[in-house]
Amino acid sequence: MAAKKLRRAGLSQELCERLSRHQITTCQDFLCLSFLELMKVTGQSYYDVQKLLCKVSRACAPKMQTAYEMKLRKSVSPSSAFLSTTLHSLDKVLHGGVPCGSLTEITGPPGCGKTQFCIMTSVLATLPVSMGGLDGAVIYIDTESAFSAERLIEIAGNRFPTYFDSEEKLLCMTRSIHLYQELTCGSVLKRIMSLEEEIISKKVKLVIIDSIASVVRKEFDTKLQGNLIERSNFLARGASVLKYLAEEFSMPVILTNQITTSLSNGLAIQADRVSPADDLSLSE
Amino acid sequence: MQRDVGSVPLAPALRARLVSGGFQTVQELLETGPCGLSKEIGISKEEALEVLQVVRQECHGDAERAAARSGASRKCTALELLEEEQAQGFIITFCSALDNILGGGVQLTKITEVCGAPGVGKTQLCMQLAVDVQIPECFGGVAGEAVFIDTEGSFIVDRVVDIAAACVQHCHLIAEAHQEEDHLKALETFSVESILSHIYYFRCRDYIELLAQVYLLPDFLLEHSKVRLVVVDGIAFPFRHDFEDLSLRTRLLNGLAQQLIIIANDHKSAVVLTNQMTTRIGQSQSTLVPALGESWGHAATVRLIFHWDNSQRLATLYKSPSQKESTVPYHITSHGFRDVQPPAVTQHAEGAEMNPRKRPRREEEK
Repeated sequence: MAAKKLRRAGLSQELCERLSRHQITTCQDFLCLSFLELMKVTGQSYYDVQKLLCKVSRACAPKMQTAYEMKLRKSVSPSSAFLSTTLHSLDKVLHGGVPCGSLTEITGPPGCGKTQFCIMTSVLATLPVSMGGLDGAVIYIDTESAFSAERLIEIAGNRFPTYFDSEEKLLCMTRSIHLYQELTCGSVLKRIMSLEEEIISKKVKLVIIDSIASVVRKEFDTKLQGNLIERSNFLARGASVLKYLAEEFSMPVILTNQITTSLSNGLAIQADRVSPADDLSLSE
Repeated sequence: MQRDVGSVPLAPALRARLVSGGFQTVQELLETGPCGLSKEIGISKEEALEVLQVVRQECHGDAERAAARSGASRKCTALELLEEEQAQGFIITFCSALDNILGGGVQLTKITEVCGAPGVGKTQLCMQLAVDVQIPECFGGVAGEAVFIDTEGSFIVDRVVDIAAACVQHCHLIAEAHQEEDHLKALETFSVESILSHIYYFRCRDYIELLAQVYLLPDFLLEHSKVRLVVVDGIAFPFRHDFEDLSLRTRLLNGLAQQLIIIANDHKSAVVLTNQMTTRIGQSQSTLVPALGESWGHAATVRLIFHWDNSQRLATLYKSPSQKESTVPYHITSHGFRDVQPPAVTQHAEGAEMNPRKRPRREEEK
């Protein structure tokens, strides 16, 4: 939206040429300038610049919807609002399951079952809608090389023996889980940016990133100068792209996180005061 | 009128020609007339006429603007302002302790900023306010509509439905207790559907969409004149990444703050912003401070900081021109934002339980 060219925003051809001489070609460049700069660059009067600003803003601004319209849209397809985890008490607490259209973070100490949960939800996502699944493919971004295909088949076979009764069905399920092993922050970010087309072409209904904390902690040391800012930048960029994907395709996105001890008042607190390792901006 | 030619809002090229032609004050321009002007500057007669019309409009505009209501140069005595402030309504939060420290609730015509760590309840408060602004006047509300600008995607319609249902039920109980006519009449139009249809929702994905939306907001508010609350949920989120040029960020944020102040004043509506927290690394320890830097701290008139103390949520009034700095606990229930219930609560009918949550003003109406 921001990179929309001014020509498509409805400005006249000669005005666009004049602006491009000052390196202003997109709506983003136009809206970032102050009033005086705009007057100088367009050569027009105050009132005309105001009208131009409204025109360009209208090209970029989001569409209005009332909360009532949103509710009506949701009530049309209620079953697609959640992915049930098949754990009844968890589903009850989550009001239905893992919500579609937003990011969910799973966090916990090592060995408590985060990767197992991710593997299980991948199986659930491939199940047909009648069984509570999403009937779609899964993109699994693995940064710790913890994904085990054998375990996947074991879970599927034992949990849903009636559905996965043949070898053929199991193999079909495994074919729809796309695994990417990324080991650096840069490659994770690049992978996230390229997800949009893959989601459409492979009919993906669930994205799992296991785990975002391990790459971040490997590469960024918050004690070093400037690293905290870079880390927040990386996390915020990744988070905004993932949110956009989750909303656009109405699908759940699951991220796993690690935990660490939070040092409060200079004392190391024991296990009952741990807090997620991630920077606060990601858990928003 | 000895106004300088350079201050008239003409196109820069035209202005430059007038100045180089030797004209310094608008009086000289008006004396010359359009034909003389066109000959001296070398512009066409129509252009010269336009210039003179703009100049004349400006001069008359100057005289009128002093008496005009809107615009940045408002003039009134403190007494008039006092009368206005006393007659103004507040938007209640349903947590009477929080309303008390705010002096009655969220004030109209002011910018209130709510900062806090993730998960502490900022978006819950925003959703609660978007419902509470619609409470009819006979129940103590301002009977307005709400604009909700969401940058983080944390607006969940089902939650708003729950909050709205609880609010409608609360009003029904008051009406039953009082049995007054205007209460019942207001309740006819106050329902969950009407509440939802008067919350105008915009989803802004990055800072450019946010800027564009705020530029278009005055026109939107002119069309929807009943709007009394503008919520921007997550003013920090789009500005915290992808910004190498920090001076650009400061300039854009200041511009945004100014526009929001103008909107708050001109349309008599409250503006509520939510901000994130960031860690400031000091010499020996790190503290949590509101994000977006020191200069942003001047934008909001009233600042609330939400934080945790063990497992209790607390709200601190950090900055306010009229109220004292204090901290109160609050609770988020399935009905929305509420007070912390005192431990000895009797299990009577809902009517009796409501009393601690009622605002002092409503009790006067009894």
